[in-house]
Amino acid sequence: MAVDSGALTSDVASFRAELRSWLDSHDLTPDPAAEHSLDAQVAQLSRVRAALYDAGWMRYGWPEAVGGLGGPAVLRAVLGEEVSARGLAEPGIYSMVEVLAPTMISYAPPPLAAQMVPLLLNGEEQWCQGFSEPGSGSDLASLTTKAEQRGSSWVVTGQKVWTSLAQYSQRCVLLTRTAPGHGGITAFFIDLDSPGITIRPLRTMHGVDEFAEVFFDGVTVPGSRMLGQPGDGWRVAMDLLPYERSTCFWHRIAYLFNRLDRLTAAATVPDEAALGSVYLSLYTARCRSRETQRRLGAGETLGPETSVDKILLQTAEQQLYDTARDLLPSVIELSESPWRSEYLYSRAATIYGGTAEIQRNIVARRLLDLGKE
Amino acid sequence: MAETDELMDAAERDLLAAAFRKAMTTSTLASASSSTLSAPGDDLAAALRELGWTDLLAEFPSVAIPMVFRLLGETGAHAPLVNDVVLATAGRDPDGTLPLPYAGGSWVVWERSASPGTALDDSIPLRRTDAGAAVDRAALAAGRRAVGWWLLGSGRAMLALARAHALDRTQFGRPIASFQAVRHRLAETLVALDGAEAVLAAAGDRSDTGPADVELASLLAKAAAGQAALTAARHCQQVLGGIGFTAEHALHIHVKRALLLDGLLGSARELTREAGRRLAADGAALRLVDL
Repeated sequence: MAVDSGALTSDVASFRAELRSWLDSHDLTPDPAAEHSLDAQVAQLSRVRAALYDAGWMRYGWPEAVGGLGGPAVLRAVLGEEVSARGLAEPGIYSMVEVLAPTMISYAPPPLAAQMVPLLLNGEEQWCQGFSEPGSGSDLASLTTKAEQRGSSWVVTGQKVWTSLAQYSQRCVLLTRTAPGHGGITAFFIDLDSPGITIRPLRTMHGVDEFAEVFFDGVTVPGSRMLGQPGDGWRVAMDLLPYERSTCFWHRIAYLFNRLDRLTAAATVPDEAALGSVYLSLYTARCRSRETQRRLGAGETLGPETSVDKILLQTAEQQLYDTARDLLPSVIELSESPWRSEYLYSRAATIYGGTAEIQRNIVARRLLDLGKE
Repeated sequence: MAETDELMDAAERDLLAAAFRKAMTTSTLASASSSTLSAPGDDLAAALRELGWTDLLAEFPSVAIPMVFRLLGETGAHAPLVNDVVLATAGRDPDGTLPLPYAGGSWVVWERSASPGTALDDSIPLRRTDAGAAVDRAALAAGRRAVGWWLLGSGRAMLALARAHALDRTQFGRPIASFQAVRHRLAETLVALDGAEAVLAAAGDRSDTGPADVELASLLAKAAAGQAALTAARHCQQVLGGIGFTAEHALHIHVKRALLLDGLLGSARELTREAGRRLAADGAALRLVDL
């Protein structure tokens, strides 16, 4: 059953109350006309981060060594929920901080983390994550972008794909191959203005070019930019999953609840069973995610059980937008409204961040202990 | 409420749960071997009362309900304790019966003395009755949480049976648990049950961040649990193949019980529609739980 969180709760409740009153008096609402251009979304994201950093909100829940103000990580979940629920920033790109900053805190040389993390938190920079490759999607550990040592530097050659926001980013957390196998993956923190890097945004079916291909042609990286030791790359990738699947999910669920409210208001087909079913699915994901937040707050190590959170969330997300299409007939097909782009984007929910099938494989192997396939 | 619940430590709870489980397992074995028309449900109720069920329900309902009803599901035992929960929550003598709403506008009574049943799960003396008085709202919510935990336990029992079968049963020279189609059905079942458990736990959460509206949270919890148990029934029945269709294997007991309990105090389908009606009327979805 749920972890007792009495001590934490009073802090969280007052944090939320103060945050809400601050947001009520500081209008960070995006320009509605620009809401669905990616340039505008990224500009809005920087604006929101800068304002929240200056006021201190963005610094809670992060260690003082990287420009934070300390306090439990759950405060970041509360902040992101308010940002998502008020529609201040697109939650997918807002939440990237949750996977990028912890990686730096855990693996970068401390002076580098202290220098760089504030630039991400305060909205001055965007960073991206170079993980997937054309030949390495679900089988991430087969990646082939190689890094070869030359004196005190490393030279990187290869190609990444599905790199969110690469075209807006100053830096990239990059996984490379330095030796065979899972133990031969090494992570670097690369400046994207280094010579030899080409970035090409990918056209996607929802019309927002959020992802890019990134080509590395003999790119030199100083050894001081290695994250951890040679061979730590797989651990770097695995260690960020708990953050992705706790705080990022909490943000996204808040955003989807906001969309459910919009759908309820806009629905032209009064189908209470369908609305109730979406509500139940989203609420189930929220209850589960809250338990995960509580476990994280109690210092537990999160593991494969977060695949359950992932499946509940991705299923609820697609159900929400399938229902939107049913209850707003013709809107997605004939009208230029945000529902179209969001509906199309929801098709990817069972693909990105580990496909629906990979999640079920993990549940079967690790949680049900069914042995090998 | 949170403070009183904490007066009961974990060791004490475990001890009590073990005693309840033992009584239930004994009752299941007795009813399986008995050819007489004994009343295992009521015998079990008496045994549980002797172990302190009634006091526990009165003093620590948020411990008593999840523990005992989940165990009923997991062990496949049964007892007419929904009466106790509804009556006690309504401030009435818990040792009686009352008409309870059932799916489709039906009303039922869960009798305390057993004679052969006519319900789908004929071990349970649940019978149609005339429409009764509206059940006290808090009592209805408590009853829904109780039946929800029972459904969750039944689902867990079905998953355990299907998992064991998948690992034991060999076809094409390997355990059927090695086939992805089988693994994914079992994974789907676990996800549904874990999700429902989170919703049930939230409905019974008495902390400061417990649900803002306990009635709605309990309705959603019963809906989630009913849906999860039916999902478990569908997938586990399929994974068990032919053996799961026989009355020689225990699965059918849990499948029939899940179907029967889903309708009690409102089916998953009806409650989900009710949640949607509430959502449409409010114009916004209550988040109910917070960090």
